[in-house]
Amino acid sequence: MSEPLGRFAQQRPQRVRVQAPQDASLNIPATQPEQSAENFYVRQLIRSQLRLAMAVAAGLLIMLVGISAILAFWPVVSQIMLFNIPLPWWILGVGIYPLIIIAGMLYNRTAARNERRYRSISR
Amino acid sequence: MTNLFSVLALVLVSLTTMLIAFYGLRLSRTTSDFYVASRTVRPWWNASAIGGEYLSAASFLGVAGLIVLSGQSGLWFPIGYTAGYLMLLLFVAAPLRRSQAYTIPDFAQIRFEDSIMLRKITTYLVVIICWLYIVPQMHGAALTLSIATGLPGWIGPLIVAAVVCLTVVSGGMRSVTFVQAFQYWFKLAALVIPTLFVLFQVLPEYSVPERAAAVAGQLESISSMSLYETISIILALLFGTLGLPHVLVRFYTNPTGHAARTTTAIVLCLLSVFYLLPTTLGVLGILYTKDLSASNADATILLLPQSVFDGILADLLTAVVVGGAFAAFLSTTSGLAVSLAGALSQEFFNGTVRGFRISTVLATAIPVVVALLTSSLALAGAIGNVFAFTASTICPLLLLGIWWRSLTARGAIAGMLAGAASCGLALLGSSMMPHNDSFWVLMLRQPAAWSVPLAFVVMILVSKRSKRKIPTNVERVMALLHVPERSYK
Repeated sequence: MSEPLGRFAQQRPQRVRVQAPQDASLNIPATQPEQSAENFYVRQLIRSQLRLAMAVAAGLLIMLVGISAILAFWPVVSQIMLFNIPLPWWILGVGIYPLIIIAGMLYNRTAARNERRYRSISR
Repeated sequence: MTNLFSVLALVLVSLTTMLIAFYGLRLSRTTSDFYVASRTVRPWWNASAIGGEYLSAASFLGVAGLIVLSGQSGLWFPIGYTAGYLMLLLFVAAPLRRSQAYTIPDFAQIRFEDSIMLRKITTYLVVIICWLYIVPQMHGAALTLSIATGLPGWIGPLIVAAVVCLTVVSGGMRSVTFVQAFQYWFKLAALVIPTLFVLFQVLPEYSVPERAAAVAGQLESISSMSLYETISIILALLFGTLGLPHVLVRFYTNPTGHAARTTTAIVLCLLSVFYLLPTTLGVLGILYTKDLSASNADATILLLPQSVFDGILADLLTAVVVGGAFAAFLSTTSGLAVSLAGALSQEFFNGTVRGFRISTVLATAIPVVVALLTSSLALAGAIGNVFAFTASTICPLLLLGIWWRSLTARGAIAGMLAGAASCGLALLGSSMMPHNDSFWVLMLRQPAAWSVPLAFVVMILVSKRSKRKIPTNVERVMALLHVPERSYK
């Protein structure tokens, strides 16, 4: 009774081994299939990093173009004074820089978090 | 008016730069393998070095000059230089560090192994960009020397070229992050000191309400740029910083991609602090420096001490500024010369040491000749044009190369050529046309707003048409660029 089972168990690994060489006639580089799970995680990492970078960049662009448009179409802003210097000079000369630094630091935090998540999933 | 102190400051800065470079070289040879050492440069040192290299003549002299010339619009330039660094952080810093590429042609080769053509075209573009970037440094040197010391202007570029050649040929500049780091703090000090002196001198005037109320009128009397020009400049500076050849080399000295990001964030802080000074000095220049015109506005910072003070104090403060200005010319030019000589020697001399030395001489001599033959535009404006050109060529290659796996070598070549041709021809055309403000002339004078999107679109469309040419190793290269290093916790 145990004989057929034993023979069955012996055959099973053979089937798997035979299939691979048969399929190999297709012209696919050998390294790809075994890494495909890994590739999936890498793609996800790249996508999340790109989405993050795009979001920050879009925010920056909208802010800068928006400010230049406001100053162009709405010159009244120039009549607001702070220590006798018109407000646009303060915004452009001083105010934007902290925003750029904060954007950079927030980005760094989130990008590092994305990488940690990738590390914890991938191995 | 020959100013002895200014000459002394110039000599001192040149000698110190050379000494530190030579000494640093000996140190790195005797202590340990400097490649290992340079990969463990701390973020703060590295950030100072990047700042030192990045803050060129355009930043040191040009920003104040532009504020004097175009008022409020001039403020956009330092914002663009800084925000450009944020873009670098977002899209390029960490992946480029992980790519193991030293230069942009290296990156092109890593991404597209098979395309020698792409590598060559990238190399030629890098060479053009470096030369275009060095020429304004030489103009700045000529201007500074003639205004501050009264010596003939052509000596300035020669001094810069000689010092840079000596330090780079000896191999000094390549290993020495220290020189660049030192230059940042020196440049900062060279602007902080005159700014504080001038502010303390003039602030009491403004306790008189009428005098204070007049400031706004003086500031707003300068006509600013049109909205199209402003947006085009913002785009050029944001996207142009990504592709600057001398800036990218510096990322290699970070230990990991994560450290590259930390470094870049510190650079943002260093740049922001620095740019407050030329901005302040530009405003003071509007209020106090007389007889400024388009031809000498870049000298605002050099002339300001003499407009506010008399005698020896004015001479001393001018000398401090002259020293800082030469530090700016030297550090930026040597950074560019290293990148340029590397590219030239690789391309034309098979990368030998002798080839590198010949290339260094070529790298600095040609811009000197060009600078002496041409007259100076506004420095920050000239650099703005270089940024527009970089944004239309190298930037799409890097952005799409790092983030889009369907990019093909053919697409990259087509996009870069389209960007180079359109942006280059527009800038050439506008320089020959009479200066007027009709919309079409503006489109040519500030081409970035249309030439950058054009380069991207061409690159994407041609890549889509040549889908079969996507490199077979793209997955591995993408993983190399984006997967965090093992050492990272």
